[in-house]
Amino acid sequence: MVLTVPRGGVTHVHLPNGQAKAHLVTAVLKARAAAGEELELFGTATAELNAKGRERLRRRVGAVSPVVGLINNLNAWENISLPAAYHGSPPLERVAEIAQEVLQRFGAEPQAFLARLPDDLDRLERKIAAFVRLLVAAPELAVFDALDEGLSRQESAGLSRFETEYRSRQPAGTLLYVDTKET
Amino acid sequence: MLQPLREIEGGIKLSLNVAGRLGQLRKPPIMESFLRQVYFTGVTAATGVVLRASGLGALIIAVTLDVLDADIDLAVKILLWVVFREIGPLAAAVVVILRTGTAISAEMAMMRVSGQTRALRYLAINLYDYLVVPRVAAVMLATMALTFYIQALAVLGALVLSPFIIDASFMELASRFFELFAPVDLYYSTIKSLLFGFAIAACCCWHGLNPPELSQNAVPKVITRAVTQSAMLVLTINAVFAYIVFGILFFGLVTAKV
Repeated sequence: MVLTVPRGGVTHVHLPNGQAKAHLVTAVLKARAAAGEELELFGTATAELNAKGRERLRRRVGAVSPVVGLINNLNAWENISLPAAYHGSPPLERVAEIAQEVLQRFGAEPQAFLARLPDDLDRLERKIAAFVRLLVAAPELAVFDALDEGLSRQESAGLSRFETEYRSRQPAGTLLYVDTKET
Repeated sequence: MLQPLREIEGGIKLSLNVAGRLGQLRKPPIMESFLRQVYFTGVTAATGVVLRASGLGALIIAVTLDVLDADIDLAVKILLWVVFREIGPLAAAVVVILRTGTAISAEMAMMRVSGQTRALRYLAINLYDYLVVPRVAAVMLATMALTFYIQALAVLGALVLSPFIIDASFMELASRFFELFAPVDLYYSTIKSLLFGFAIAACCCWHGLNPPELSQNAVPKVITRAVTQSAMLVLTINAVFAYIVFGILFFGLVTAKV
C-alpha cells in the first residue's frame, strides 16, 4: 500500500483494522518504518536518518491518538504544559493563553477543566486536552486518530472544530485523519 | 539463569544514567516531580515514625540496663552503636521500601502497561529525566531525612523515657551520650542512608519500567520483585558497611575474638 499526504492538505485514511491504524500512527510518530516498509516525512526518507535527525522530524509531528494518551497522575494543565515545560518552549504564559482560548471555544470552564485528572474527564474532554497539547506543540503534521471513536453523535458533531482551530493556528499545516473502516 | 544478570546489568546502567543526568533536576517539571516525591516519602511518612522511633530508643536502653544488667556506659554505647548507627538507617529503609518502593514500582509498571511511558517518548520526554532522576534523588534525600528523624527521636526518647524505667537520670545519660558521640557516627549513617535510598529507588524504578509482561497481571509481580530485591540490596549494603567499619577499622581483617 502506498500513501502520499500532500503538504498543507487534509487527508483521510481508512485502514482495515485497529492494528493497521496503530501501526501507521506509531510509524509516523516514531519517524521510523518497520522492516520492509518505507516512510518519508517532509520529503526526508526516515531510513537514512540518525537518532538526532529522527528526533528533529518527530518534533514536527503531533497526534491526538490513544497512542499518545494523557498521563494519569497529572491534571489536565500539567498534561498540556508538560512538553513545553520540559523543552523550555513555548513559555508557560503562552501555553496558558492557548489553553484558555481553546477551552472557552469548546464551551469548557478553563480553570475547572485544567484542574481535573484524566480519570475525571469524559472521552471528549480527554480528546480536547490532547488537542490543546497538540496545538501548544504547533506541529506541521497533525494526525487525528479515530477522533470520533467512543463518542456520541452529538459529541462527534463538535469535532470539526478541531480542524478549524488547528487551521487557524497552522495555516500551512498538514492534517491526516486516520480511522478504521469499522468506525 | 540470565534474568539475574540482566537485572544487575539493567540496574547498573540505570544507576549510571541517573548519576549522569542529575543536572536535569533544574527543569521545572522534573523539579516538581522531585518535590512531590520528597513530600510523599520524607514528610508524609514521618508522622508514623515519630512515636515508634521514640519508643524504640527507650526500649533498647531499658532492655540493656534492666535485662542484661549493664551499666549506664554500656547502655549509652549500645544506644549509639546499635540505634544510631544501625537501626536508624535500617528502620528508615524499611519505611521507604514499604511505602515508597511499592508506590514507585506500581506507578511505573502501570504507566508502562497502559502505554503512558510510550506517550512520554512520543512527546520527546526522556523517561530517565522525567521518571527516574527525580524519584531516585528524592528518595535518597528523604531516606536521609527519615534516618535523622528516627535517630534523633530514638535517642531523645531513650534519654527522656529511660529515667522512668531504670535508675539513671536524664543528665547522666545525655552527658555520657555526648561524650561518646563522634562526627563519624553521623557521616557513617548519612552515607549509608543515602546509599539505601539510591538502591531502593533505582531497584524499584528498574522493575517498574521493565515488567515481565505488558498486562495488568504484571503489576503485582513487579511490586513483589522490587520490594524483595530492595530489601536484599539494603541488607547487603548494610553488611558491607558493617564489615568496613567494624571489621577493618576496628579489628583489621580478622574477626573479633569474644
